[in-house]
Amino acid sequence: MQRTTHRRRLLARPVVVSLAAAVALTATSCAKSEDDTSSDTKSSAAADAAQKVASPAPGGKACTVDAYGGAKLDLENATVGFSQSEKEANPFRIAETQSIKDEAKKRGVKLLTANAQSQFSKQISDVQDLLAKGADLLVIAPLNSDGWDPVLQAAAAKKVPIVTIDRKINATACKDYVSFIASDFVEQGRRAADQMIEATGGKGEVAILLGSAGNNVTTERTKGFKDRIAEKAPDLKVVFEQTGDFAREKGQQVTEQLIQSKPGIKGIYAENDEMGLGAVAALKGAGKKAGDVEIVTVDGTRNAVQGIVDGWISGVVESNPRFGPLAFQTLDTFTKGESVAQDIVIEDGAYTSGNAKSGIGKAY
Amino acid sequence: MAEAALRTAPLDRTRLVQWLQTYGVYAGVAALLVVNTVITPRFLTTENFRTQAVQVAPVIIVALGMALVIGTEGVDLSVGAVMALAASVTALYLGYGLLPSLLVVALFAAGVGLANGALVAFVGVQPIVATLALMVGGRGLALVLLPQLKDLRNPSLASLGSGDVLGVPYLILIAAALALLVAFVVRRTTFGRQLLAIGDSRPAAQLAGLPVRPVLIIVYVVCALLAAVAGVLATARLQASDPTSLGNLMELSAITAVVVGGTPLTGGRVNIGGTVAGAVLIQLLTATLIKHDLPPSWTQIAQAIVIVAAVYAARGRGKR
Repeated sequence: MQRTTHRRRLLARPVVVSLAAAVALTATSCAKSEDDTSSDTKSSAAADAAQKVASPAPGGKACTVDAYGGAKLDLENATVGFSQSEKEANPFRIAETQSIKDEAKKRGVKLLTANAQSQFSKQISDVQDLLAKGADLLVIAPLNSDGWDPVLQAAAAKKVPIVTIDRKINATACKDYVSFIASDFVEQGRRAADQMIEATGGKGEVAILLGSAGNNVTTERTKGFKDRIAEKAPDLKVVFEQTGDFAREKGQQVTEQLIQSKPGIKGIYAENDEMGLGAVAALKGAGKKAGDVEIVTVDGTRNAVQGIVDGWISGVVESNPRFGPLAFQTLDTFTKGESVAQDIVIEDGAYTSGNAKSGIGKAY
Repeated sequence: MAEAALRTAPLDRTRLVQWLQTYGVYAGVAALLVVNTVITPRFLTTENFRTQAVQVAPVIIVALGMALVIGTEGVDLSVGAVMALAASVTALYLGYGLLPSLLVVALFAAGVGLANGALVAFVGVQPIVATLALMVGGRGLALVLLPQLKDLRNPSLASLGSGDVLGVPYLILIAAALALLVAFVVRRTTFGRQLLAIGDSRPAAQLAGLPVRPVLIIVYVVCALLAAVAGVLATARLQASDPTSLGNLMELSAITAVVVGGTPLTGGRVNIGGTVAGAVLIQLLTATLIKHDLPPSWTQIAQAIVIVAAVYAARGRGKR
């Protein structure tokens, strides 16, 4: 019996591997999904959706090549390395990576990319690989804020400037890295509160669908929302705060419980679009009508903006993922020897019933 | 008098533990129902029970398959991945219509179950390792096939997720039918007897001439198929295929339901009624905490307490 199993195992391995490959190939080759109407217009209006700097920050600290201790170089002949943190499975990451790639192509810059698949150790080795492959400049979307010392030392040894996008690295600006470009998540929460106050008239009970616990995006979007509510509309009460883990299904399940136990709820603030769309599914399932409960979300994905057009969502605060133009512009200015800001906060748009239809092309 | 107390105390305790093993989970469900009736507004409404039942249905379906596998002294960690795979394959083949796409989903799920079963029955890999491989690989395949969430608009799929017969949603009917079917198979068929015999002692079953390998393979295929059903139903309810997050940690919910329901991890016994009640217990517990807006970390702590209590009760059984 021992012997037979052994023989089987030797045989089984190549068979299994080739079988798996064959399955993956045949499955996609004869697949036929539903007709997709939303993808036609995807690239049309993307150009005018590039990020703008919110505050030129006159009082903010700046950084120059001389202060950083590098050498001037011409961006056009340079190699840029881009390290993405999460796999491109959600619209935000897809748009972010695409924007970096598009901008590199537009400027004719050689781009090396890597994706850490949400594993921090992989991101560290990714960046070290990029340096080894000869990247002169680095754009990093960090998965974590801490633990970057090995990379920063390696980059400093080669005098490679680093720009981080959407999350910050805990290190000294203009010494360990050049600039940090991101949205202000607290401000996003405040603006969502403004939209909620307007939609509900500043009175009644509202609920919050929180993001994943322990995530800085969750805490900051919550803080901004609550602070603004307390300050501007004390009659608006937050009576329910439960996590939906940034996922649509979880958002749906939590909202189902919510409308069961608190049928009088007037508004739901979802800290990302996916949970907001889950809330819409729950309301539809409970036989509610569009507009019965005001939903405000953050992100600005195409599906959520379509939700405004359909009347189910009241407002969407944008979190713009198109970092490409601004990141490359920063690198360009910096490598020419001019000064750039250390903290670059980008201006996010917003969608309401007024501009959803015309602005849907800008959504990602 | 002191002597009498000493003598009866251990007796009472064993009796209590035995009682807890058999009826503890039902007592837990009953207690939660009573507590909620008192403290939760609008708890005793049809809509509420409908919501809870619809939410727990996929967990029950997955837990049924898990109970069978655990009955053979195995465990299947790949159920969440199979749900994700079912979601992405459904989206991929929906263009041919609902039924053809469901057939392809069944094929894929059977493939995963076959791989699990073959690894366990023929290659002799421990179930936890074999299914761990498929848990990682299955979700990977699901993401290769469908890299991101996709909205589905097929009307038959939508009605599968939200339609009902005389006010009872399809989801609940399907879960109930499957639970009855699995309970019947375990109790009244030769296959069920063979399954339990293998779980009790695989060498003994082999010596007795039972078809050990075919039974094991069928059990893993059935478990994967049930997980696929749950995946399709969850997708139908959401009207979107979300392979990145669908079925995340489902294997743990299913194992919890089975263990809390009084099925020992050592195999040889399957308690289907308890498994269903176990899933309901966890659902009610979560619902209670969410409805009262308690911090999500409390839910995890409460679940942990329930599991520890269940394992404590199971420990008594081993001693007996």
